[in-house]
Amino acid sequence: MTEVLAQCGVGIGWRPEIAGFVAGLPGLRFTEVIAESVHPGHPPRLLAELRDRGVRVVPHGVRLSLGGAEPVAPERVARLAAVAETLDAPLVSEHVAFVRAGGLEAGHLLPVPRTRAALEALTDNIRRTCAELPVPLALEPIAALFDWPDAEYTEAEFLTELLERTDVHLLLDVANVYANARNRGQDPLDLLDRLPLERIAYCHVAGGRRHEGLYHDTHTDPVPAEVLDLVRELSARRRPPALLLERDGRYPPAAELRAELDAVAAAAGLPAIT
Amino acid sequence: MTGREGSGSVPEEGRIRPHADGSGAVDGAREALAAAQEALVAALVAGGPVPSGFDPDLLGAASRALLSKRAGEVARAWPALAASFGPRWGERFARWAEGRPPRGPWRDGWDFARAHRDALDPAAARELALAEARWRYDGNGEPRPRRFALRRIPGGGVAVIVSGRLQTVLQRPS
Repeated sequence: MTEVLAQCGVGIGWRPEIAGFVAGLPGLRFTEVIAESVHPGHPPRLLAELRDRGVRVVPHGVRLSLGGAEPVAPERVARLAAVAETLDAPLVSEHVAFVRAGGLEAGHLLPVPRTRAALEALTDNIRRTCAELPVPLALEPIAALFDWPDAEYTEAEFLTELLERTDVHLLLDVANVYANARNRGQDPLDLLDRLPLERIAYCHVAGGRRHEGLYHDTHTDPVPAEVLDLVRELSARRRPPALLLERDGRYPPAAELRAELDAVAAAAGLPAIT
Repeated sequence: MTGREGSGSVPEEGRIRPHADGSGAVDGAREALAAAQEALVAALVAGGPVPSGFDPDLLGAASRALLSKRAGEVARAWPALAASFGPRWGERFARWAEGRPPRGPWRDGWDFARAHRDALDPAAARELALAEARWRYDGNGEPRPRRFALRRIPGGGVAVIVSGRLQTVLQRPS
């Protein structure tokens, strides 16, 4: 697949609370913004300034519900497409997940069953979405604390089949891979070795914490050493074109955030951007 | 499933679209998936029963994680409200929100604040009063901006609202 974020290296998710910090990163070449937080006609000024100085901005959707049995809402797709145009985005990303059903909003990304029916529903929704988008789509497998019963595919089989059918990119969240494997007593490397790594457009890296015996992918805690180790293992197999640190709250002092970005860069064998 | 959505029928808004090949098996599987997803969301956010085959402990952990995430989002949208409960905010919000499907941080916080009017400190009461001055909200539908309003604000002053925006808070000379 063509590398849409070739040589973009390490980036960090753009959030209003850390907009000044992000703007001050000398080596920054790409960032990501929650698509639903951007008004298509009026992107935040500091984000528009990054775009104007050549930083690639990836809109990251969280509300399309591509994995829902219901057809994806055309107005949501249209809005995502408009945000991509506004930000001059090289691609957009979304999730292998659903967020609502029967009129109820979950308020979070929920896993789909690994069944043929879910694969068909996802495929239909991804095709509908790609038909309206001006740029390629990358799909992110999510972290989930529980599994659906009666899986007909392994996670690797399900994702590989989905990506092949729809010919979209993979947004691999290394922390999600770690969280899912740890909470199920599995080896995260088993999944890495079975995924089509050549489809990776970019990776997510995030922090989390242990609570009541489970690892929670919170995005509000430091990145644990185990996740950085997994970045190292992934990069040894096939270095991703770009990696993005996600932080969504309880923002640490700038020095800590810089150290975390440096640690991600070092683990991936990429230049520091700080 | 039989051809309930056969040719000539217009699919209702939000209904599953029939397959072009008319394959009843595929439609049936899609409807079963829709029902299973609805049952899962209901179990996680609306106090519904745990659907069969799921691990109740893990669903419970996921449900509590969702409540904690909601509490954090509401705290960002309603900072004075969350601050008025101090370190017990997360627990108080979760106790109230359990079984209430999320309506977005703005309305979740609004509904919570209205249900706890008597417990709000002056800053939180002012935050709520300013929101109620700017927006008309019946507790059900989407809040709508007021075109023009004058509202007395707890802690002093009168808010002047034009098109949902706070223009000024007039202070009475003391």
